[in-house]
Amino acid sequence: MTTTTDALNPAHPIDHGHGADHGHGGHDAHDHHHAPAGWRRWVYATNHKDIGTMYLWFAFSMFLLGGTFALGIRAELFSPGMQFWQPEFFNQLTTLHGVIMVFGAIMPAFTGLMNWMIPLMIGAPDMAFARMNNWSFWLLPPAAMLLIISLFVPGGGPGAGWTFYPPLSVQLGAGMDFGIFAIHLMGLSSIMGSINIVTTILNMRAPGMTLLKMPMFAWTSLVTAYLLIAVAPVLAGAVTMLLTDRHFGTHFFNAAGGGDPILFQHVFWFFGHPEVYIMALPAFGVVSQILPTFSRKPLFGYVSMVYAVCAIAILSFMVWGHHMFAVGFPATAQLFYMFMTMLIAVPTGVKVFNWISTMWQGSMTFETPMLFAIGFLCLFTIGGMSGLVLSLAPVDIQLHGTYYVVAHFHYVLVAGALFSLFGATYYWLPKWTGNMYSERMGKLHFWWSMIAFNITFFPMHFLGLAGMPRRIPDYALQFTTFNEVASVGAFLFGFAQILFLYNVIHTIRGGVGPSPQRPWDGATTLEWDVACPAPHHTWTEPPSLALVREGLIAQGLEESTHVEELK
Amino acid sequence: MTSLALQRQQGNRRTARRLLLAVLAMLGFSFAMVPFYNVFCRVMGIQQDRTAVADAPVAGWQQQVLFDSNVAAGVPMQIRALDARREGHAGGLMKARFELRNLADTPLGVRAVPSYAPLSAVRYVEKVQCFCFDAIHLAPREVREVTVVLVFKSDLPATLGPITLSYTVFGLDGGKQQTTATAQSIAKAAT
Repeated sequence: MTTTTDALNPAHPIDHGHGADHGHGGHDAHDHHHAPAGWRRWVYATNHKDIGTMYLWFAFSMFLLGGTFALGIRAELFSPGMQFWQPEFFNQLTTLHGVIMVFGAIMPAFTGLMNWMIPLMIGAPDMAFARMNNWSFWLLPPAAMLLIISLFVPGGGPGAGWTFYPPLSVQLGAGMDFGIFAIHLMGLSSIMGSINIVTTILNMRAPGMTLLKMPMFAWTSLVTAYLLIAVAPVLAGAVTMLLTDRHFGTHFFNAAGGGDPILFQHVFWFFGHPEVYIMALPAFGVVSQILPTFSRKPLFGYVSMVYAVCAIAILSFMVWGHHMFAVGFPATAQLFYMFMTMLIAVPTGVKVFNWISTMWQGSMTFETPMLFAIGFLCLFTIGGMSGLVLSLAPVDIQLHGTYYVVAHFHYVLVAGALFSLFGATYYWLPKWTGNMYSERMGKLHFWWSMIAFNITFFPMHFLGLAGMPRRIPDYALQFTTFNEVASVGAFLFGFAQILFLYNVIHTIRGGVGPSPQRPWDGATTLEWDVACPAPHHTWTEPPSLALVREGLIAQGLEESTHVEELK
Repeated sequence: MTSLALQRQQGNRRTARRLLLAVLAMLGFSFAMVPFYNVFCRVMGIQQDRTAVADAPVAGWQQQVLFDSNVAAGVPMQIRALDARREGHAGGLMKARFELRNLADTPLGVRAVPSYAPLSAVRYVEKVQCFCFDAIHLAPREVREVTVVLVFKSDLPATLGPITLSYTVFGLDGGKQQTTATAQSIAKAAT
């Protein structure tokens, strides 16, 4: 992140003048000692750290935008009746909040983390395709612009919900087309990013680091990238069919032309359910890095963790029907999707118990990343449990389209994905900036977020059980009190994120002082073996076998005798 | 470039090509889901093929439908049911036409709002296509023919009696006001 380009890791001197190809494809003649300065550094960026940084800042700005839309929703819902918006603008707010948070905030944030950390953690000099990496990032700002512009075209933005169900999405105005093109661009970006991540992980690992010895974050990234490669094209196909139905006279989803709107739901959720794990698996990876570090113990049941991730990924292709229990499936189909969905609780349970066992009898300390990881563990489990409730077809038909669903997916996406991202930021911020963040402010951010989050979303369970439908701008009077509580919580949660922004900027500007190369006691993965802040180019020469093994022994993945033999 | 780097680059390209193939295959799969879905539904008998409805031999009794049309006060247009009375069958399709006429010298945006009598008919009659689904924009003095296509459910009871399907045409002015209000609220949100 800084221009201390060649501050080398003193423990592992690297002959950096020549030799190793550092991911520029070997065709670049430019001298990699001097990264281009000014705007060129970012627009022409091919360095995985620069691109990762841009991803993270982009995701954060989208997070604030999507959060502003969420506050617009909560402001309207503070009391019954219409306060601020017209119903159609309220629909646009919910739609854009969903689309921006999913495709603009959570996914790019994880891609940014992967860009930054995967090469560092597996000992690669850069991502496999550095120029494609640049392209995958720079497709995102135009996509975001399309979504924002859509609000100002006649008829306003897409208002069909983030799921874009026809027939509404076929009938809406031009804003919907902007939404469709934005999804195309973001899908393209995800596909290219995923190809890069899979290739990097499969082909560019350090010597001695076999697949089953990679850090868990690399594993979850690999599986996530595979999921994206499988389902991002399906989403592209679904919205393309919408587009041709809207403008080119096809009838994929038009009943009058022999099509079927339910078909869209099948295609969408074939993408949509794996998408849930695309947002959850990297969070699992982050937590699997943080918990062992601050428990000062190796991750419990590493191999079972890997198999659990793979099992979740495979099962995610067989459960999409549980989003559609209310469309009138035959009982056989309902039972199939119900049992497959309940089955996912098994590998997820394996993970949760492994995390708890990792902490068991560890020498735990509670720095901010650890707090967010434990917060994740508690709240994600609650979200998982409400998911299990929803997996039951007879219960789901009752709860379908209520605030119970809203509560459920915010527990897994905010307390799950987002909390893990906060944890990851505090965990790796010293490595990125070279400075230590303020522990006091970090803890304040955690507790503020934790309490405000629960004030916002816990009451929604009860609203849903009582029958309040989602995506409505007005509601029956008996729901008032809990909606007031949720709205107050939402504004508190929103302001907590300004504190997060302050913490990050404060750390970049020096924080509470420079960070040592390995700020955390129990951190044993390869990224802690490079200098702090991480130099512009790292691992131009792969880490030595001895160094890799040293880490693997600390992670409990290899017996120490191997190293002794080596020595 | 060292041979290691060259090897690695070749390996990377090979992996990327395979992944790209997977992407294209999945894109194809998304479109292949369309015919597969139709076949699957037919085989499972989950949903009858809608195109087959029109051709199916109709065994049900005759169901009379009356079409009625009105224009809300102050909207400068006429609507006329070209098929004021039609007969359909349980499990069958029915199509009816209406004529919209803009009486003003200015463009006109309207929307038709349907209502059924008796109300219990709603359960048995499904609008597959309807001019009431969309906002309609008429050029000055334009005359346009529009249609509604209905499907009668196969369990349509014989005791229902004639069904009246009535359309009232409203101007989009209300909609326009709402659009302005939306724009204002966006502006408010921005400030």
